[in-house]
Amino acid sequence: MTQTSGGDVRLSGISKTYGSFTAVHPLDLTVPAGSFFALLGASGCGKTTTLRMIAGLEDPSTGTVELDGRDVTALPPYKRPVNTVFQNYALFPHLDIYENIAFGLRRRGIKSVKKQVEEMLDLVELGPMARRKPQQLSGGQQQRVAVARALINHPRVLLLDEPLGALDLKLRRQMQLELKRIQTEVGITFVHVTHDQEEALTMADTVAVMNGGRVEQLGAPADLYENPATTFVANFLGTSNLIEAEVVTAGGDELLLTAGETKLRLPAGRCRTTARTGGTVLAGVRPEKISLTHADDAGGIAEGRNRLPGRIRDAGFLGVSTQYVIESPGAGRLSVYEQNVERDPRLVPGADVVLHWSPAHTFGLDASQDIGAGADTGEEAA
Amino acid sequence: MTTSTEAPPPAAPGDAPEDAPRARGRAARKRLVPYWLLLPGILWLVVFFAAPLVYQASTSVQTGSLEEGFKVTWHFATYWDALGEYWPQFLRSVGYAATATVLCLVLGYPLAYLIAFKAGRWRNLVMILVIAPFFTSFLIRTLAWKTILADGGPVVGVLNSLHVLDVTSWLGLTEGQRLLATPLAVVCGLTYNFLPFMVLPLYTSLERIDPRLHEAAGDLYARPVTTFRRVTFPLSMPGVVAGTLLTFIPAAGDYINAELLGSTDQKMIGNVIQSQFLRVLDYPTAAALSFILMAAILAMVTIYIRKSGTEDLV
Repeated sequence: MTQTSGGDVRLSGISKTYGSFTAVHPLDLTVPAGSFFALLGASGCGKTTTLRMIAGLEDPSTGTVELDGRDVTALPPYKRPVNTVFQNYALFPHLDIYENIAFGLRRRGIKSVKKQVEEMLDLVELGPMARRKPQQLSGGQQQRVAVARALINHPRVLLLDEPLGALDLKLRRQMQLELKRIQTEVGITFVHVTHDQEEALTMADTVAVMNGGRVEQLGAPADLYENPATTFVANFLGTSNLIEAEVVTAGGDELLLTAGETKLRLPAGRCRTTARTGGTVLAGVRPEKISLTHADDAGGIAEGRNRLPGRIRDAGFLGVSTQYVIESPGAGRLSVYEQNVERDPRLVPGADVVLHWSPAHTFGLDASQDIGAGADTGEEAA
Repeated sequence: MTTSTEAPPPAAPGDAPEDAPRARGRAARKRLVPYWLLLPGILWLVVFFAAPLVYQASTSVQTGSLEEGFKVTWHFATYWDALGEYWPQFLRSVGYAATATVLCLVLGYPLAYLIAFKAGRWRNLVMILVIAPFFTSFLIRTLAWKTILADGGPVVGVLNSLHVLDVTSWLGLTEGQRLLATPLAVVCGLTYNFLPFMVLPLYTSLERIDPRLHEAAGDLYARPVTTFRRVTFPLSMPGVVAGTLLTFIPAAGDYINAELLGSTDQKMIGNVIQSQFLRVLDYPTAAALSFILMAAILAMVTIYIRKSGTEDLV
């Protein structure tokens, strides 16, 4: 299956409305050939609808779907060179595993399916299960059958709709690696829909974060995490501390901000909004980028770091790290993850501390957004 | 000391002999609960099914006459005589019932499919329309068909002017310019009366099919027709089997349709049994015919279920 490298998907102005409800706002999206692309978002954000429009299971209200430069918008699902791994798998209960996997080949009139089916059964390590019925298999095995049933057709694009949602945590981790391995092996374009940010970050080359029927941000996992463009992305992917700050000086390579009494510095290149002197921005920093020092030792903190005074409200020991909740005047409640390398015994609730971090780890967001967007819907990454 | 019947505590040795039998008694009563629950149903079956069956079986091997009384003489020849005399009615019954069953399937499947997948918010309304005929009696509905198919009625008129009746009478389904008192009328009546028994099980099994299986089949290059042939229809087989049985079995033993819509040439085995019992008063022959019909249906149903591969249905 070396020649079956994947195809690219291009969505232009695609949207879907149900009556007065807009599931997907007009959307442009390009999935490069051979990539592992994830559509990430909370339930109801339009990610599954987008996937179903690529598969042809849903007719877009506007816009076009192109596969390898060919407009397939008007084609029914059975004429599109894409296959889907359905949520809950949708295996045919009346057919055994072998016939489930052979289904697509047989429909295309291929007579000798034996060799290919057996190859595919080996790939997903289900050879001995060939003559069982789907309901006799465990969840993880059914999931692998669903992948095999789709992959055997050498689709240009494989669509995965929350394929791991029904599995328990341990099995899910295992299948994530398995899917990633298969994708690297067959080189087919994968479009993966998930609400699990960790799944998207570990598996995908490119992640599109969707919210309310729109793509909020698109990029490589590390890029999305380090440089969120909106408060939704900042809160939905991991945790962010967002501090409302006033711009003191704009222009130049660095912005100078004040939050309450303290001054903060923000690289101009990491500010996602046009900052004017006297205006407001949201200064963000990830909890693991912040260091904690007891207030008595504040003199030892290197010059040029952003610093904020505060008092420990709560400390949670997590083994590898400790999670602190800090109340800071002017910045509100902040979250800090400290690696448990050399624990300072004075860092207990009630202690006065100074939070400090490199200005390069600060990012700036438009202050007109909802500061808490995406905070409750995303799972907190420890 | 408290006497607790709920949970005997690990009590002093003196208590044990008193509590142990009590606990045993409770366990025994618990075991008997299922049988008590079964009892009303079993009583009903014994009184209204098993007992009449045994009585009929004994009747079928009796000889005698109404005046002299019937006695059990183990006269099994009644069975052969009855079969020898009435085999055309047996064949006709099976033929009519089978035709009506096939017609019910052909008419009922699209209807059940429509209700299950396409009716949307009209689903309940269409369901009510399907079962609406049950609000009037079987007899009255069949009598109504007598009016509908009557000579000189609108149906005959229309079919006549379209020359449909010429074709059906050439096929031997009707005779001359009339519908009533023809095989076609009896089969139509049977089909009409038993259609809901086909539609309801079909609907139940179609409705249970996950619509994502249709999507999955489409996604795997199956055209709509292939999806139906390879996925929908096989998955609806329990409904097809249940529906055909619920249609065929009562239709084969029916006599009202043949009585009201047919003539003497369309008599089914049900009519023969009825007249043997109530007019000729030859009870042994009537009982023997009933048993032959029962055995024949049982045999056909068994073969059918084996062939359709849905043994787990029964």
